Amino acid sequence: MIQYVIKRLGWAIFVVAVVAVLVFLLMNRVGAPAVATLGPNAGPQQIQDFKRKNGLDQPLAVQFAAYLGVVPCVRQGSRAFKDHPDDPGYCGLLQGDLGDSFTHNEPVARVIAHRLPRTLLLGVLAIFFEIFLGVSVGILAAVKRNTWFDTGFMATAFLGISLPTYVTGPIFLLVFAFFFGWFPVGGYGEGFWDHVYHGILPAFTLAIVGAATYARITRSEMIETLRSDYIRTAKAKGLGPSTIVVKHGLRNALLPLVTLLGLDLSLLVAGAIITENIFAWPGMGALAIQSIVGLDAPTVMGVVLVFSAMVQVGNLLADLAIAALDPRVRLGNEPS
Amino acid sequence: MPSTPRTEAPLKKRLVGLSMLLVVAGLGFGGYSYWPAMPDAPRWMGAGDDTPRSGGTFVFHHESNVRSLDPHLAYDELSGMAVRLIYDGLLDYDYDSNLVPSLAEALPSITDEGKTFRFRLRRGVRFHPLPGLPEGRELTAEDVRWSMERLLSHTTGSPGFPLYKAIEGAEEFHRGDADHVTGIRVLDRYGIEFHLTEPDQTFLNAMAMTFAYPVAHETYERWGDEANLHPAGTGPFVFDSWERGVDLRFSRNRHYWRPHHPGPDHMIFQENLQRAVAFMRFLNGDLDAIHRQTTPDYLLIKGAEAWAPYRLEFPKASVAGIGMNCEIPPFDNIHVRRAIAFAIDRRGWARARAGRLAPAGQLLPPMIPGYDAELPNLQVLDLERAREEMRLAGHPDGLDEEIVVLFGEGETSRFYGELLQQDLARIGIRVRIRQVNFAVYLDQTGKPHTVGAFNAGWNMDFPDPSNFLDVLFNSRSIHPEHSENRSFYRNPELDRILDTARSETDRERRIAMYRHANDIVAHDAPWAFTYYPMSLEAWQPYVKNYRPHPIWSQDYRDVWLDLPRRRASRSLFGTGRPRNVAATLFPFGGLR
Repeated sequence: MIQYVIKRLGWAIFVVAVVAVLVFLLMNRVGAPAVATLGPNAGPQQIQDFKRKNGLDQPLAVQFAAYLGVVPCVRQGSRAFKDHPDDPGYCGLLQGDLGDSFTHNEPVARVIAHRLPRTLLLGVLAIFFEIFLGVSVGILAAVKRNTWFDTGFMATAFLGISLPTYVTGPIFLLVFAFFFGWFPVGGYGEGFWDHVYHGILPAFTLAIVGAATYARITRSEMIETLRSDYIRTAKAKGLGPSTIVVKHGLRNALLPLVTLLGLDLSLLVAGAIITENIFAWPGMGALAIQSIVGLDAPTVMGVVLVFSAMVQVGNLLADLAIAALDPRVRLGNEPS
Repeated sequence: MPSTPRTEAPLKKRLVGLSMLLVVAGLGFGGYSYWPAMPDAPRWMGAGDDTPRSGGTFVFHHESNVRSLDPHLAYDELSGMAVRLIYDGLLDYDYDSNLVPSLAEALPSITDEGKTFRFRLRRGVRFHPLPGLPEGRELTAEDVRWSMERLLSHTTGSPGFPLYKAIEGAEEFHRGDADHVTGIRVLDRYGIEFHLTEPDQTFLNAMAMTFAYPVAHETYERWGDEANLHPAGTGPFVFDSWERGVDLRFSRNRHYWRPHHPGPDHMIFQENLQRAVAFMRFLNGDLDAIHRQTTPDYLLIKGAEAWAPYRLEFPKASVAGIGMNCEIPPFDNIHVRRAIAFAIDRRGWARARAGRLAPAGQLLPPMIPGYDAELPNLQVLDLERAREEMRLAGHPDGLDEEIVVLFGEGETSRFYGELLQQDLARIGIRVRIRQVNFAVYLDQTGKPHTVGAFNAGWNMDFPDPSNFLDVLFNSRSIHPEHSENRSFYRNPELDRILDTARSETDRERRIAMYRHANDIVAHDAPWAFTYYPMSLEAWQPYVKNYRPHPIWSQDYRDVWLDLPRRRASRSLFGTGRPRNVAATLFPFGGLR
């Protein structure tokens, strides 16, 4: 198991590193970040200062090596450079430094630390809705299979899978926030419970696609499980229907959902980028878009690295959870 | 052979299914029929008391984000909006675009044939709390000198420097050859004098720009590079906080120098709010003013009678056109440029944009002195003349190669590109639209021999024709990088007229020179002018003392709120639609 975890972590680091290289090259080949940050009327001196401050006056290879932290810092605005301009220290990823945001004028790590909890809150709410709605509907559809209830909900689930968040988001905003006034028209609010209140609609939007998938998988797994011999035995023993469904059926049907949950993280991350912008939710997704539009390469790099690390960790945790839940599953080269 | 018998569902089950289907269809149809339209009237009204008073929170927005709160560096519309809440200038503009004193007691006395400007500062003007000075301190002439020297210093790198380099000794100081600017002299605690090397009729305009707003040296000494995040001026609002990309917060300056200046206790400036969301928030009463809309929202607010007292549509002091690089073929040929100018159907563009723009046939907008109402039809739709110009250019059948035109991002830019494609196809010019990020656009169009044609635009800094003509078409605005003269148009005669006009003290003669310069540009067509944008602003009925300012965008410094606001109707959907089924069924919005 430990060997497997180490191997997976190594793989995760490799994937994140590849992502870092690609994004760095892409972001540094596009446009003029100095003009994007300082505005169309920035003077030549201002632009030159900006480039020096952020190390953009250096060759791309040097910039990247410094970003990784394998050569001394080239960002003249960084603490490492300011403290020892003649012999600057290192200020890269290996030193835990994600650089300074062009637009936020502060370290990327601090910007992300500020924004990440908001996206996590949205993610947690979305996962809650996904599981709650998806599993409940899936169980009911399985128990009432081939009835109008089953057909109706599965058709709705199909609709849910088909509708992307950039369609459902504005519709929900218009209907539930604007016309009915049940929720605020976007934003984040002030205070934890207000954040939760503001987060319900975007989280629900984010959860729709996942909930529909959960419902379909739960339904098919439950139908399969409810046909098993041990369920028949449980019925023969005279157990009540709810005990049979929840205690015996659901437990076995949930295993594929754990795998789905791990994969779901990447979908939530991708969805958050769109949803946060629709609902003006100031999290990582909104930060990603603002940074890309503003050619704020260090922030884009930071956001992408955090997102890709989250996805890798999510997948790993899902694998480990499956192994813990099902003794038949063996990880890596462990003998079965 | 008998067919396989079908398994029939029991009759009862089929009936239930059919009933369910009918119910769903009925609900759907009913819901659709009674689905409310967008509200066409304000949901909230004021308390009905016209006595100006302080209190409440004013919330406004923009779809982009503020770049800087440092007056010496901020040079974009949004940043200017925020800067003007915190800072004041020596001079300002009234609603007729006239220069008026602000921190100065009066307009300056001008002597020495228009080269010396002497200001007297108001007494008792205080800065907001400063590092080590929680009560702030009084603004003095020394602060004005310090601020101007910071603006002019090369270490600041202010984009505003060129506007002030006529001050004697400014260039030497900028180069680092002098410790102080010789042309700025502090006379006493409240008196300061500026001496120019030559008369410059735009100097007072420059002094009214946000670059020249006095700042406190304590802020920069304490915060260094981060002073931008701790702004402290003498303006009507004190800076509270700024979460980049999300919102800026301000509180009313209770020690503001202007007596009896009521205003909201707090201001919130929300950044990066999409237009559609902002509009919904505005109709909901969550935003107090709105200034940019999607086309459907624009048409709704423009057509709603109930909003008429709380909206204003006005032409902006801006101009748009298709810029052509006069150094790159085929645009180095004046006849090709003129052909393009004759081929653009400006009225068609205005119709296609639902009337949100006014056709432009010359550089200067109508509200700027020098606009020529009698200008001969140099830039109007005239396909015969367009084809004649193409023949004179040696391309009677059009161009063999397609031309690439650079546009900014977004659907609207794309739309303009498509309109241009249609128009130029009629004279045999095929257009390829290339959309790029704004920063890429600025970078590439600012370099010589790089971009052939581009969608161009200019927003005025101050209401003087030189701010259009000198910036966009004087050959001095051409640089190896970041040229403001992006069409790289060089005309010695135009340069001479502009240079003379800049220092001409006789207003009539000066305006006549700019009118002539404006005609030359329309004739030579470095830009094929397309339109002057219109702007529609709306505000809530309880927002008082607001009207769009001709110079400053979204200038909310003088608003006050008639609170407590009250719901205009029990209906969620405004006063215009009282018979709303959904509103009756779902009265939850009333709780907000």
